Amino acid sequence: MSWLTPELGAHLIDLGSAMLLLTCFAIVAQRRLSACVDLFAVQSLCLAMTAAFVAFLTGTKHIYLAAALTVVVKAVIIPRVLRRVIERLNVTRELVMNVNVPASLLICAGLVMVAFFITQPIIPFGHILTRDSLAIALAIVLIGFFTMIARQKAVTQLIAFLVMENGLFLGATAATYGMPLVVELGVFFDVLVAALIAGIYTNRLQDAFDSVDTSRLSELKE
Amino acid sequence: MSAEWITPAVLVLTLAPLLAAGVSLLVASSRWLHVANLASMGALVVAETLIARSVVARGPVTALGELVYIDALSSLILFIIGTVGLACSLYMRSYMDEQVARGVIAPRRLNVFFCLFHLFVFAMVAATIANSLGVQWVAIEGTTLATTFLIAFWRRRESLEAGWKYLILCSVGISLALFGVVLMYYSSVRVLADAGAGLNITQLQQVAGELDPHILKLAFIFLFVGYGTKVGLAPMHSWLPDAYTEAPAPVAAMLAGVLETVAVYAILRSRGIADQALSPEFTGALLALFGLASFAIAALFLLLQHNYKRLLAYSSIEHMGLAMVGFGVGGAVGTFGGLFHLLNHALAKSLAFFAAGNIHRRYRSVEISEIHGLATVLPGSAAALLISGLALAALPPFALFASELQILTALGSWGLPGDWGRSGPSGPLILLLLCSLVAFASLLIRITGMVWGRAPETVAHGEPWSTGHLSLVLPAALLAVLCWALPGPLERLLQTATSILIHR
Repeated sequence: MSWLTPELGAHLIDLGSAMLLLTCFAIVAQRRLSACVDLFAVQSLCLAMTAAFVAFLTGTKHIYLAAALTVVVKAVIIPRVLRRVIERLNVTRELVMNVNVPASLLICAGLVMVAFFITQPIIPFGHILTRDSLAIALAIVLIGFFTMIARQKAVTQLIAFLVMENGLFLGATAATYGMPLVVELGVFFDVLVAALIAGIYTNRLQDAFDSVDTSRLSELKE
Repeated sequence: MSAEWITPAVLVLTLAPLLAAGVSLLVASSRWLHVANLASMGALVVAETLIARSVVARGPVTALGELVYIDALSSLILFIIGTVGLACSLYMRSYMDEQVARGVIAPRRLNVFFCLFHLFVFAMVAATIANSLGVQWVAIEGTTLATTFLIAFWRRRESLEAGWKYLILCSVGISLALFGVVLMYYSSVRVLADAGAGLNITQLQQVAGELDPHILKLAFIFLFVGYGTKVGLAPMHSWLPDAYTEAPAPVAAMLAGVLETVAVYAILRSRGIADQALSPEFTGALLALFGLASFAIAALFLLLQHNYKRLLAYSSIEHMGLAMVGFGVGGAVGTFGGLFHLLNHALAKSLAFFAAGNIHRRYRSVEISEIHGLATVLPGSAAALLISGLALAALPPFALFASELQILTALGSWGLPGDWGRSGPSGPLILLLLCSLVAFASLLIRITGMVWGRAPETVAHGEPWSTGHLSLVLPAALLAVLCWALPGPLERLLQTATSILIHR
């Protein structure tokens, strides 16, 4: 394939990573919970495509497996679980926000700059194909982190946690062409179990507190 | 023990808890649950003793095709897991059966409890013996997943809240550690030919000197913050007091005694690699400063507590901070003191939580102001609480006195690492001494107030001897003995582990 030069490949991978970052911003800006879940599913699909593309360009076979797992676990199973949770809880919107949407978006833009700034010294060591992905991955992790603090519904916090995981996975695939297989499988397993456990929790929290608003969780104080 | 016994011993180490978890779901009577529990813990202790002997005599071992790596440091952590785990199994017999008898939990849920408990032990063992830093991360996240429902086990509103907080804060914290692992791999694949082994401790230790210092610095910061959340270092400690208060007593003992230790181990492992490429002052200063901050903050919060389980929780943060100061200052004395402190704290804190569990069952209250006259109501547990209190306040004749003295000596002699030590050791030393005075006073005033005084009329008096009391005698005796005489094999184990950590 003579048309597929390394430069073009690098651009395409950058494009995939940028799509991930874009969906992050969309999740931060979205108030409807079901739309957040859909966006998360879209983000996971983008992640799987980027990973598959890295696998294709580098010939690393086991990344295909990781990409397939991403589709199954993060784009199908977990969104389905989340939709069921939202249906049962009868909550549709994030009503109370610690930080409103425009301010959140500004802060996230700042976080992206921070991520590029932090990774500046180490980016030149990366593979030529995927240099900028590490910075984008860190940006996604930081945005997920911020969203966990800024939103109060248990479901939104869970989505933010999963977004962080997506960022980490992008970092692992893009910057290093995939971690050893046993580690990747273990991470997938952990994420799946964590999501299921958090789903069970939202049910129990709903029963106990009549709400999944985590700001109501204030029985334990000094 | 010859080398061919290593693989079976490692298999026992991993399969015993897994098998016990499976059995726990199948058997119907609580009697067999306890038998499986004791058997698996017993097998664990035997296997780890054999491995430790071999490791001290012949050096580190790998098994199961490079998946498992055990050196003196991991053996020491295994020893702590085994000792506290065994004491826990002895304690759980009376504790859990009473909860069923009182109707707090359905008998069927006992199976779930034991299954999760064994999975928790398995995850900790896996995190300790894993050769790959990635597998270690997976196992440590596994401990979070296994314990969150144990913390929320009573299903009260407070316990659900504590369990949720624990799940979210620890998962997020440890996600940051995963980024650290990714960065570590990012640096090592550039040096190593075999990318599949790029996260193996055995490989990383060989090439650590060639890794890029910029990447490693960033990787270590992420790893430290991530696993530090799990240790409960300030300011990432806010989940810890809630979780320890709401968890059933044996679970709290395991969390405080063992899980924190395993998380510290994870930090020390990556530090061992980072130190070879960076200057040791960088990692040392990070550890020592966070340690000092945790120690000081926890000491102040100890003053405010009116709930005895929270009191013990803050004392955990304090002691972990102190151990971190020991590792941060480093040198033979500081590192040895830090490791010894981990062991002693595990013993003292599990003893304290066993006593607290007994008190909670009898008085049905966790408020310090409602507990008086323990000496007449529960003489055995009162003695245990008093001993653990004196030990946690670092008074002789208990072993925490010895280890705390070693850490203070190291700090007094060398001061903080790097630029922070320029102004001499006296500042941090005075801060530590002042804070330990505050901690000492707040612990002992509360505990003496609980032990003596007039017992309320409504509470039944007397405490007949049961096998559960063995779990109080075992750590108490160890604490008293270790202060005066360190048994030869244990001392060699500690020294070998120290030499691994200060190897530059």
